[in-house]
Amino acid sequence: MKSPELTDLQVAFHDHLLNLPSTLSQEVSEGGRISVDHRLHIYHNAYRARLLENLQDAYEKTWAYLGDETFESSALAFIEDNPPRHRNLRWHGAAFPQWLENRFPQDLDIAELARIDWQLRQAFDGPNATPVSSAELARLSAGDWASVGFQLVPTLFIAPLRFNSVSIWHAIDQELTPPVAEPLPALTWLLIWRKGWQPHFRTIQTAEHAALVQLQDGASFAQVCAALGEQFSDREAASVAAEGLRTWLQDGLIVGLTGAPA
Amino acid sequence: MPLTPASSAIKKKSPGFGLGLRPVHYPDFLGEPQAVDWLEIISENYMVPGGKPLAMLDAILERYPVAMHGVSLSIGSTDGLDAQYLADLKALANHARPLWISDHLCWTGVQGRNAHDLLPLPYSEEALRLVVRHVNQVQDTLGRRILLENVSSYLNYRCSEMSEWEFLRQVAEQADCLLLLDVNNIYVSGINHGFDPIEFLDHLPVERVQQIHLAGHSDHGNYIVDTHDHPVAAPVWALYRYTCAHFGEVATMIERDDNIPELSVLIAELDRARAIAAETLGSGVQEVREAVL
Repeated sequence: MKSPELTDLQVAFHDHLLNLPSTLSQEVSEGGRISVDHRLHIYHNAYRARLLENLQDAYEKTWAYLGDETFESSALAFIEDNPPRHRNLRWHGAAFPQWLENRFPQDLDIAELARIDWQLRQAFDGPNATPVSSAELARLSAGDWASVGFQLVPTLFIAPLRFNSVSIWHAIDQELTPPVAEPLPALTWLLIWRKGWQPHFRTIQTAEHAALVQLQDGASFAQVCAALGEQFSDREAASVAAEGLRTWLQDGLIVGLTGAPA
Repeated sequence: MPLTPASSAIKKKSPGFGLGLRPVHYPDFLGEPQAVDWLEIISENYMVPGGKPLAMLDAILERYPVAMHGVSLSIGSTDGLDAQYLADLKALANHARPLWISDHLCWTGVQGRNAHDLLPLPYSEEALRLVVRHVNQVQDTLGRRILLENVSSYLNYRCSEMSEWEFLRQVAEQADCLLLLDVNNIYVSGINHGFDPIEFLDHLPVERVQQIHLAGHSDHGNYIVDTHDHPVAAPVWALYRYTCAHFGEVATMIERDDNIPELSVLIAELDRARAIAAETLGSGVQEVREAVL
């Protein structure tokens, strides 16, 4: 029998791992204490076991929420639908939240919780940046304040929240029974970022969300304040802006100043 | 291509006895000094944009010599090397200035798909030519010799034309690279394929063996799986004794990937390796062979 080219052999092997039609068994030597089928099964099994373990690690809270059986069957189905293509295993689970949305369309809290798991992981080893201190802001002149904008932390992730998945996350984290999933009464957004070496998250409401999105788009702080002035009285707008700024500094969300002279 | 003449200068002097660095042990290594001469990092864990992994690595680099060990080079894939992966590996090497850089003699995927497993190559002339070409490319990019590790395997291909040890030796000599011997993997594959681990060891080029891995496995009776989640098994210790007698002083480390115990447990295991190496050095290979067999 003619030997296959190395590429054909590797394609046959990978097809075997992916449950595709494969001629691999014809290329494997017989003999020894276990059968060819058993030898092939060891690799077939190891492929899934490793990818499952990786998803369990990346989606720890989602795993606890779904329970071992449902998580495992979902993760294995995801693995069949999404053979890894990236060199680094850490990226394999990137599409899992979206996939869960399609698998559990009546229970979108599951995908939302998975998105929190994933984004916390991204924040964990995302790019570094040094937060701006309140002392640096204090050195700005009145003129600078007319034009200064804020560069936000590179690990920042903002997404709308539809369910009480943050409460569910906290309950699981404290090993308590999670609350029943229910839609949130008001428009809410989730904010995830890293402060120091620790990923953080909190929920924000419409006014803060609008301000952060404007800053991300390059607006100056003065423009953000002006936009707040259209929603609130002057006094309330000033208070909301000051409170926002104080919180962003505390949270380490501001990592650079733009638009003002150095 | 001319072969590099065999010379003891090919490899570096052994830095002693090390451990695979695992995040759970960061506080131990960053607290008080530990009885560990050097550490091996998993390269991919630090090929990330930033955050705690890289901060911990920097702190470790101040305290311990570090070797880099990768799992995704896929030196034997007919897809060719991944330029971005290689660039990221080089960037990490420039930052970490490691003792050396290693990966596995295997392939991990084809046609852009990745199995994230260390899949076996056929021991054929075609595979040999491909691996040698790839090792040359990697060594040119990194500007240094790399180490390739023998993997555990569970099948042999009909198209293999030589033994695994002959293949390893040919790769090392033709590509002028170094070897990382995983003594556990030699034992595991020996059981799974029915070869004699001593014959494997006897045929490797002594001057190119830069590092040794010791690890545990799961024994299923008819076959063994290389799980790296148990203490080093008795037959592997016996094989390590022979390895020490045959290869002399070689940097040795315990590699534990799962069920990771407290650091003191791994250091006790490492001390056993130290003791075996100390007892064996100076004793004749024949004497040890008789004791092992």
